[in-house]
Amino acid sequence: MKRIRYQQLSRQWLATTPARSATPSQVSRLSRPAPTALHCQRRCQSSTSITPDEVFSEAEVHDSPEESTNIHEVRSKPLLPSPHPDRALRSAKLAALHARLSLSSKIPRQVLARALVDPSADAHPKFNNANLAFVGASLLQYHTSEWLVTRYPRLPMSILFAAMKGYAGDPALHRIARAWGVEAAAAPGEEVDPGYLQFSHNNPTVKMHKWGYARAESKELNKYKWRRGMSSRIVLDDPFGNLVDEPEDIPQETDGLEVSDARNKKDLVVQNVDKNAHANFVRAVVGAIYLHCGSETAKTFIKSHVLSRQLDLSNLFNFSLPQRELTRLCARENFDPPVARLLSETGRLSRTPVYVVGIYSGYDKLGEAAGPSLDAAKSAAAINALKSWYLYSPGEVGLPSDTFAEDAAPWKPVYVDIGEIIS
Amino acid sequence: METRQALRPLGSSLSHATSSVTRSPAFRSIASRRHQSTTSRTKKMLKIPPHPDFLTPQSGQNHIIYNPPAAAPSVYHTPFKFLPKSDPRRQANLSQLVRSSTDLHASRSSLPPVSRATENREKKYNVTREQVEEMRHLRASDPVTWSVHKLAEKFQCGPFFVMMCCKASPEHKEKERQRLEAIKARWGPVRTKAREERQKRKVLLAQGAL
Repeated sequence: MKRIRYQQLSRQWLATTPARSATPSQVSRLSRPAPTALHCQRRCQSSTSITPDEVFSEAEVHDSPEESTNIHEVRSKPLLPSPHPDRALRSAKLAALHARLSLSSKIPRQVLARALVDPSADAHPKFNNANLAFVGASLLQYHTSEWLVTRYPRLPMSILFAAMKGYAGDPALHRIARAWGVEAAAAPGEEVDPGYLQFSHNNPTVKMHKWGYARAESKELNKYKWRRGMSSRIVLDDPFGNLVDEPEDIPQETDGLEVSDARNKKDLVVQNVDKNAHANFVRAVVGAIYLHCGSETAKTFIKSHVLSRQLDLSNLFNFSLPQRELTRLCARENFDPPVARLLSETGRLSRTPVYVVGIYSGYDKLGEAAGPSLDAAKSAAAINALKSWYLYSPGEVGLPSDTFAEDAAPWKPVYVDIGEIIS
Repeated sequence: METRQALRPLGSSLSHATSSVTRSPAFRSIASRRHQSTTSRTKKMLKIPPHPDFLTPQSGQNHIIYNPPAAAPSVYHTPFKFLPKSDPRRQANLSQLVRSSTDLHASRSSLPPVSRATENREKKYNVTREQVEEMRHLRASDPVTWSVHKLAEKFQCGPFFVMMCCKASPEHKEKERQRLEAIKARWGPVRTKAREERQKRKVLLAQGAL
């Protein structure tokens, strides 16, 4: 029977006691089988491969319960920036989230806990979700773009960028994370339940960019609103066609980490920290599924959680000269030139007339629309005709990633359009 | 029910007149008038027969009522002409394929009327290179007399073509801009607001939000 230490029951002691003191660190380190640790290190550098005990081992030399009788010694031990991975197994919130997402039991709960730690909460790359989110971001962008291109082969590039953002961009992933029931902790720290999303508004974080370059002229682009051509947007900008921000000069932290996160520090300017952290959590979950369950499971997960969302692509269009564009289209495709025909009308002499105008090419109606004047109805009908051209879909066709499976049928080429209309 | 049945031919002929005849004032006066001299006659005139789907068929059997509300066609429904050659829907819809080939020789009366007379205008390409030079010379010499519309009239081409060929001098442009500014300055609040709203509607129309 141990002696009760009254001074340790003070509030300060409770606040500074690390959670891992509940499980003796020596036991946890020694009892872990070595092959598992090696396996995890090789596979994914998951949080189980290294514990904070090893990182802060210098501070833990005197961590035995017998020696920590002095309160000053307890205080001197540094606080972990995020909860200890061992606590993940005892978090009801985390278990509920794991079950709610129907994640496989192959994904340890420690990894899910790690996916909830934003780089702004814990800068150590082995304890935050930056690496997982990077893998997840690549997968999300790959599957989204592949699905969009095969499903809507005629989409113009600008609309494709917007649709990519609508499916796999920060706002959409933020909504997904909220729909999963992920709540943010008020502030990150060791004492927080691992089931909360942890990020900090003050510390720098990471923005996930699969590719993209900071342009040399990016300052002038922002200042003088220079035009960015679509070709250079495809080559230089990020997957959503947005400018990659110039990294600001941030004092380099020299904390002697063995794994450099210089790449992650490339872009630290984040407008909406909350949205970015939620999006990174979704990406990290996708990355974790890929690493632990394989690419097919990750694809199914993306299909059911991201691509199943409804996005009305016809609302993304904005035409400047629809009638000229339609004329150019008909000339390009050897159709008869488009003619506006009056299908029906009412109230021509009234204050609120309605005209229904159809655009015909030869004997085929290409589009129709109603409008308050003949010109407006004709313009709207031309817009509808162009939209129905651009939103052509061959239906459910196979994706290139279907052929990654073991017993996949040989790839049947899908329809490839010659390109958008240049007017 | 009997009175409605009796009224149906009248109603259908009226609606036919409304849709097809737009120009002749005699028809318009009948079709667009919504009242009669007396209340009972007006009420009688405004009695609309039910849609045929809602009437009991001749056989008297039960039937399914299919009368969807009028709606704009979806842009996700690709017109037959826009389907690529490789699309299986093109082969599946053979009747459409046959129709589009034979209809070229059918009568043009099956198509609805054009919305404007200018829609049927053919491109003429009648202006020669020398005429373009002359047009430029005239426009440069006296832009006030030889306005865009006057030049278009002289060379029998569209004003758009004239604007493609000739460029007014900066002084003339500045003068025109000042004239327009003076006109705009005379606008009252109502007209200014109406013009602003017209611009907003234009933007919304281009976005397809109107």
